[in-house]
Formats: sequence, structure tokens, C-alpha cells
Amino acid sequence: MALAGFKRHAALPRLDHDEQARQAFVRQFRGHLSARVMPGNYRAYERRAAPRFLASEGRPPRDHRDVRRVMEQDGYYQFWSALQRRSQELMWDAVIDPVERQHGALNAYANRQHPRGSLRLDPDLALPRYQTTVDIHLQPGGYHSESTAGDAAAGAFYDQALYIYSNGATGACNDAMGELLLKFYREYFRAALPSRLLEMGCGIGNSLLPWAAAFPGCETHGIDIGAPVLRYGHARAAALDATVHFSQQNAERTDFAAGSFDLVISHLLLHETSRTAMPRIMAECHRLLRPGGVMLHLEIPRGDTPVEQFFYNWEVFNNSETFAQFLTGIDLAPFAVAAGFDASRTRVVRYARPRTAGQHLYGETFFWNILVATR
Amino acid sequence: MADKRKKSTRRNPATNKAAAPGAGTNKPRIARVAKGKRPQYFSDPAIDKLLWMTVSLMEELSVTRDRLDAVERLLERKKTLRRGEVENYAPDAASAAERDSRRAAFIDRVMRVVQAELEEISREDMPRSSEEVVAAVAS
Repeated sequence: MALAGFKRHAALPRLDHDEQARQAFVRQFRGHLSARVMPGNYRAYERRAAPRFLASEGRPPRDHRDVRRVMEQDGYYQFWSALQRRSQELMWDAVIDPVERQHGALNAYANRQHPRGSLRLDPDLALPRYQTTVDIHLQPGGYHSESTAGDAAAGAFYDQALYIYSNGATGACNDAMGELLLKFYREYFRAALPSRLLEMGCGIGNSLLPWAAAFPGCETHGIDIGAPVLRYGHARAAALDATVHFSQQNAERTDFAAGSFDLVISHLLLHETSRTAMPRIMAECHRLLRPGGVMLHLEIPRGDTPVEQFFYNWEVFNNSETFAQFLTGIDLAPFAVAAGFDASRTRVVRYARPRTAGQHLYGETFFWNILVATR
Repeated sequence: MADKRKKSTRRNPATNKAAAPGAGTNKPRIARVAKGKRPQYFSDPAIDKLLWMTVSLMEELSVTRDRLDAVERLLERKKTLRRGEVENYAPDAASAAERDSRRAAFIDRVMRVVQAELEEISREDMPRSSEEVVAAVAS
């Protein structure tokens, strides 16, 4: 049994009746919050909170901090916020159950010799503080914790959770973001055929697999700091007939040779790094690309208006996505330019794909930001 | 700045202590609560706990209804259950033990917020302030 619309593969745990029922509840609960409860926050803001702010301060809210001050007093927002937080906690609980039940078998599969691709781990890799201080997006143990030798559980948690988190928007194989960035790449760099590509912060490789499939002659690499997600990703790629070379590295500084990639990409990596790490990652992208090579970073929007910015920052304060607040209201392009990319060959593009109301999460619309630069 | 401590591959996330080498006889303990301070949403922390439990109960009820639905449909299909049999049902020792175990897991799940607070105050590697959490990403 599997969650409806989610494609099963050999690296995933099987779900028994109650595990499937639990995951289905969480998914629908989140869909309900997104479609039926969240929009009320915008109404509460417009009709109650903003007028209250204007009455007491003599001016409208100027930025997301003003919005926060007044919204946190609003009963509707408080209740939605508590429920949204709860839904995220329930989600992790619901995906851990089947992994815990089949932990031995899952790890045995992950640690087999797989015929495709490769896995290179580094037990001495120092874990960055921005990954260990709190558990990002409330995933217990984050991307890096292991409860036993050869653990791949963190990957199995993430693979299941992402689909539930997004209420199916990430696609049957959690590859929708990879497909979206690939579509963008093909539109903007029509005839390009990379022979060597790298995804930074690849996690379980869910966004990388569409790239590997699209460019069969390309040597495809993925790096992450977390050993258990990479172990899982390597097994998962084999289960899905993809050839990817996974290695445990920090995107701030890799051991790949300078100018050795045609394409360096990431999907939702940047907002989980830090103020020091992000410029280093940009510099590393620049170092790794050959002249004419392309850098692409897919990121979630952080909102245009103060109220949108407040809601997109909800995850900063309620979902342990601490760094994301530092990307609010800033342009990503100067970071690429500071790393050596030419300003005339660097831009941030807004890219939309329609979602249902049950998938919007924090806004009344949804689009992606893509930082694109050519070396 | 990168954490200068070497990463141990056998760190128990519940205590954040490395597992002793050869400590493989017990089932590995998987962390259930995320590291980090849980925000307070309401004026009284007891309300936050009540909401946690209430939503968990919603979930449990939903799962149980799905299961019951499966059972009823299968029974109808097989024409095996008569009226009154459920009312007079008495579990044998093995079934009673399984029920106890399931009930314990249910209670654990609904009460986890209380456990969460215990873990938060017991763990030794908690960031000491929100400033420390921000400093980890602002440098």
C-alpha cells in the first residue's frame, strides 16, 4: 500500500494499513489548512490587524516586522499557526513509523552493492553549524543524524515527507522541482548538452534524477553533507534506474577540479545555508564551472509585500528554517556577481507553475525564483 | 564557521551522545522530536499542549475509522459477522497483550508534547538562546 499518487520504489519502506491511513490524514489535513484556513489569515490581516495597526501607530505596516507585531496578536493567525506547526510535526511522525518498523531491511537494501552510479562518503567531514544547531524543517535528526552504522533512515523520512509536505506538488517521484528547473534550462540554453553536471545539496537526489535522465551521456554528480540521505539516494537512484555519483561534501568547498563542470545546480539549497556559507557556495560554483558553464539555483519566493513576506517567513520562526529570513527582500544576483559572475550574464527569473489551493501553503499564488548565471 | 568537531557516525540523536562501539544489541533509537525550541502559540503553554493532543486525537480517530471501514467491508463481503458478536467479544491473553502495546504507543504519541518538553530541558546541546540560533546562520 502506498500514499495515493506517490510512486513506490524498492528503497522506500512499505506502508501497512494504519501507516497509510495516518499519512493520508496528515496530507489531507495540510491540504485543508492550505486551501481553507490559510487564506483567512490574509482576510484577518486586511480587515482586523492592519486597521488595528493603523489606529494605534498612525501609519500602515511598513515591513514584515510590523506585520508580525500585529498578526501575532490575532486569534485567527495564532490558531492557524499552531495547527500548521502541528501538521509539520505529525508529518514527520507519520513517515518515521514505517521506517522504524522496517529499519533493518531498509538499511540492508541501502547498503547493498548497487550496479549504477557510486557513493563516496567522508566520515571525517565537519558538519556545518547551520545544519546541526537546530533540525531544519523539524526533521528529527536532520539530514545528517544516524542511529546505527550504515543508516539510511533520514533519506527514507525525507522521500516520504516531501510528498506529504507539498500535498503532492513535488510529483509522484518528488521530481517536479528538478523537472521545472530542467525545463527552464532547456528554454534558456536550447541546444546545451552538458557532459558533466553537479547538484549541490542533493539530499536524496530526487531533483537530480530528471537531469540524469534528460542527459544520458552526462556524468551526473550530487553532493550533500548528510551521509544517511546520500546512502538512501544511491539506493533510490538504482531502484529508479538512474546513474548518479553521490559524494559527501560541503558545497562551500569541494574536492572537484576547477573548471570541471558544464553545469552546477541546486534546488532549495540556499535558504538552508548561512551568511558566510552562501557567498562561499557561489564562489565554489564559479571555480567549478568551465568558461561558458551555467549556474542555476532554484529558490522559493520570499514575498513582495510586507504581509506576503511575513507569511513566507512563517517557516523561519515555526519550522526551523532560520537562514531563510536573511533572504527576505534581497536580490540574489549580487551574490553571484560578487563571486565573479558577470552582471550582464546573471539574473533572477520568476518562474511559475500552477498549483491547487491545497498546495499554496503561505501565499495566495505561487511561483519560483531561479538565479541563473553564465561563467 | 564549520563545526570543528569530527562527526561521529554513531551518534544517538536522542541524547546526542555517540553510541558505544558494539552497542548493536538494542534496537537503534530513532529521534521523534526535532531539535530546537518549540514556539509558544497561546497565552498559556497548557493550551499549546492541549491543541497538540487534540490534533493527535483527530489523527488517531481518522486512522481508526479507516481501519474499521476496511474491517466492515471485508466482513460484509465474507458474510461472517453477526450482530452482538462485537459486544460480547473478549480478547484472549495474546490479543489483550497486543491491545495493551498498541494503546501504549497511542498514549505515547498523543502525550509526546510533554515528552518534548522533558527532552528540551534535559538535552545538553540545546542552543542557549534564539540569538545563538541566528548566529549559527549569520556567520
